[in-house]
Amino acid sequence: MHTSPIIELGGIRFDLSAILMLIVTCVIVFVIAKLATRNLSVENPGKLQNFMEWTVEFVQNLISSTMDWKKGKHFLSLGLTFIMFIFVGNMLGLPFGIVTDFHDAGHAHIFGKEIVSVTEEFAKHPDVEEVGVAWWKSPTADASVTMALALIVFLLSHFLGITKNTKNYFKHYFQPYWFFFPINVIEQFAKLLTQGMRLFGNIFAGEVLISVLLKLAALGVGGWIASALGLIVWQGFSIFVGAIQAFVFTILTMVYISQMIESHDEHEH
Amino acid sequence: MSINYASFFIALIAFVILYWLLNKYAFGPLFSIMEKRRELVTSQMNEAAQTREQAIAYVEEQKKALENARKEAYDIIEQSRQTSSKQADQIMEQAKVEASRIKEDAVRDIASEKNKAVQELRSELGAVSVKIASKLLEKEVSSDKAQEELVDQYLKEVGGRP
Repeated sequence: MHTSPIIELGGIRFDLSAILMLIVTCVIVFVIAKLATRNLSVENPGKLQNFMEWTVEFVQNLISSTMDWKKGKHFLSLGLTFIMFIFVGNMLGLPFGIVTDFHDAGHAHIFGKEIVSVTEEFAKHPDVEEVGVAWWKSPTADASVTMALALIVFLLSHFLGITKNTKNYFKHYFQPYWFFFPINVIEQFAKLLTQGMRLFGNIFAGEVLISVLLKLAALGVGGWIASALGLIVWQGFSIFVGAIQAFVFTILTMVYISQMIESHDEHEH
Repeated sequence: MSINYASFFIALIAFVILYWLLNKYAFGPLFSIMEKRRELVTSQMNEAAQTREQAIAYVEEQKKALENARKEAYDIIEQSRQTSSKQADQIMEQAKVEASRIKEDAVRDIASEKNKAVQELRSELGAVSVKIASKLLEKEVSSDKAQEELVDQYLKEVGGRP
């Protein structure tokens, strides 16, 4: 497996590929959204506008399925940003990868800075011949990114719970009995972890399998054919997985938010 | 797998910025357009419903007007039929009266003509009779007034019988 290009600036380790891919993803999402809403028309929408409106309606239905639309309409932009960002992010790693190979620690520099991940790899395993550094990958194949997204959902849902639904928010930690408190607390963190890790795991596993299939091509003609066939199938499946994971992440966001802002009084009496 | 804190916070910030940008420059205008379209569709549907109601009312009105016109036409025809039959009767009556009058006139004319003819025939017959009698009687009977009257009287007795 390839390592990430990590450099140190002022004692902080920056993952250049994650930063690059985050920027690329954000730019692509913004450009798509901007192009789609460039010539907005009420009566004669263009193709891109139609597509964007279809996406908006998809997210609208998704929100309506989890909560009252009156409350849910404030999260429409959030849901759209999540689904577009994650979908585009998931797709970016599929078509190609950019990998640089370093054969010794001395050459591992970028912008005059040492790529510490490479030098560490050589220090750890002095017998390896080369270390590959992946520059282009899905941003969502990085646990740091997916956990950041999950944390946004976590913070937002708890913030909304505390401010909009205070009484029920604190009460629900002690339900059905007071000694369920630790379990309820663990549940909240489990939600955070599973939401981030599910996305990361799915996309990361997809990219691992792609790189494994690529390595298969080195085994001669048979390996090359098997690799090509496997890649075709797996990339197709990865598109499906990427779309599903974007959908799952968005609907989980809405479910968690709705759990926090809906009062459960009417169900108990 | 390891969490890189720089990536973590950069992702956090990048996502928030992306959300803000999209909300401001892309989704906001899009949502307002979609809302406008929803309103447009609603208003057009209302308008269509209204128009349909109006059309139904209009058709109803037209139907009623047509019905009225038909009834009126029927009345007029009926009236004219009555008038014409009455007139025809009148004309027939007049014609009958005229005909009978003409017939009566004709009968009267014929009667008077006949009388006149009889009268003439009688006077002529009288004269002829007198001539015949004078021929027969030669001189005994002269053709004076007194004798002619006598013959007339005989003839009246003879020819006066119907």
